[in-house]
Amino acid sequence: MNETLVSCTALTKRYGSKTALRGVNLELGRGRIVGLLGPNGSGKTTLIKILVGLLQPTEGAVLVDGQSVGPCTKAAVSYLPDRMYFADWMKATDLFDLFADFYRDFDRTRAMSMCASLGVTPSDRLKSMSKGTKEKVQLVLVMARKAQLYLLDEPIAGVDPAARDFILNTILTNYNEEGTVLISTHLISDIEKVLDEAIFLKEGAITLHDTVDNIREREGKSVDALFREIFRAHNMEGGAF
Amino acid sequence: MFGKLLKYDFRSMFKQFAFIWPAALALALVNHFTMSAMTTVSGDGIVGTSTVGTTTAGVSMLVYVAILMAMFITALVFTIQRFYKGLLGDEGYLMHTLPVRPWQLIGSKLLCAVVTTFLSVIVAVVSVFIIMPWSREDLRVLFEGFRYLFAHWDSQASNVVIAILETILLMLMSFATGFLQLYLAMSLGHLFNKSRVALSVVAFIAINAVMTTLLSVLPDISLHIAPGHSMSAYHQAVWLAIATELVISAVYFAGTEFILRKKLNLE
Repeated sequence: MNETLVSCTALTKRYGSKTALRGVNLELGRGRIVGLLGPNGSGKTTLIKILVGLLQPTEGAVLVDGQSVGPCTKAAVSYLPDRMYFADWMKATDLFDLFADFYRDFDRTRAMSMCASLGVTPSDRLKSMSKGTKEKVQLVLVMARKAQLYLLDEPIAGVDPAARDFILNTILTNYNEEGTVLISTHLISDIEKVLDEAIFLKEGAITLHDTVDNIREREGKSVDALFREIFRAHNMEGGAF
Repeated sequence: MFGKLLKYDFRSMFKQFAFIWPAALALALVNHFTMSAMTTVSGDGIVGTSTVGTTTAGVSMLVYVAILMAMFITALVFTIQRFYKGLLGDEGYLMHTLPVRPWQLIGSKLLCAVVTTFLSVIVAVVSVFIIMPWSREDLRVLFEGFRYLFAHWDSQASNVVIAILETILLMLMSFATGFLQLYLAMSLGHLFNKSRVALSVVAFIAINAVMTTLLSVLPDISLHIAPGHSMSAYHQAVWLAIATELVISAVYFAGTEFILRKKLNLE
């Protein structure tokens, strides 16, 4: 098995005249929980969308598990987008059927037990569920897979602090331990305690990528405090919070 | 994987049409009876019409025509929606991260749309037969006719059957071309970040204009389909038309596939 799970080389993405990613070089190993940290508009979602194959890079190359992005890598990647992605007329169990059909690593039994512990009734129509419940269903779909790479785009942005712990706990207790979890967020204090590594993304470029322990040791402060320091200008503009 | 995509596309299609197809057929049956109730035969054999009967027949005919129109509009809206919402809207986040290739996504939607429309045409044709004032005797004569036809099957008969099948194939191909033109127009429209729907409409009109110009330089094949020409000329003309549709479809498909594979721009 290839030790490097994700490898990005000189990755650049431009939308017209706007540059979202500028020459990103990134290597991620296996079995880590990695925070992709940056204020809004720093390129977090763009990077994740390229890794999952929803966007094509303008320049540069991406390899996931040694392969360029395609059906093979999609089968190994479990992606939680920052929005609802299912048809309203379906039931959660219909989605479980769909996932079981398309993803060999989907564990239906685990999905059902996760529903039970999250208080979701999987036989309900999605239309009748609250926004929070729908988000839980989506989280169940993503975490009930034994994937190599979990890409979670702002999984805790839209929920209250109590639910954040609940969601983080679900992620931590359910991910495939040989796989890597990449969580994008700007709410660092909530997730710092679970991270092995942190990536700081600023205006489309990686300014820092290290283990959380190294950062704390070297800087003598928490990742959250360092983040606030580096991105203070953005905060003052009201861009981040 | 393609088979699994088809399963989900057809499942959502049957959900959509589970009511409207049986309703169209049931209303046709109602019309069959209200039509025959419209005419009354009095004791001395004079045929007349009753006012109540005429009104009932008129109303039920109106409802029938409305549901038939609704059926074809639904088929068209369904085709557009399944593609736009399913592949270019939020549901695209799910569909484009499944371990399948873009051509499979498009192909599955297309096949489902063509089958839906074809089944709707069949429902419409069958419903017209149901409305017609047939009696048990008529059915017997029809059946006899078929028996006679099969008993005396000759090359002329096979020729006609082949011509009918070819015409159906041409119809299916032209459905596919029309739907692929919609797909390409929507894919082009989604490349923009604003007013995507309006720009999709503009793209559709633009494709139409280009194709009309291109096709106007081709010789008119409809002349050969006109009556008076030999059967072989008809076969030839239909196959030429099918080939033309196939080429246009292939271009539309390739364009749509390229956009979804290389230029996907989900909001």
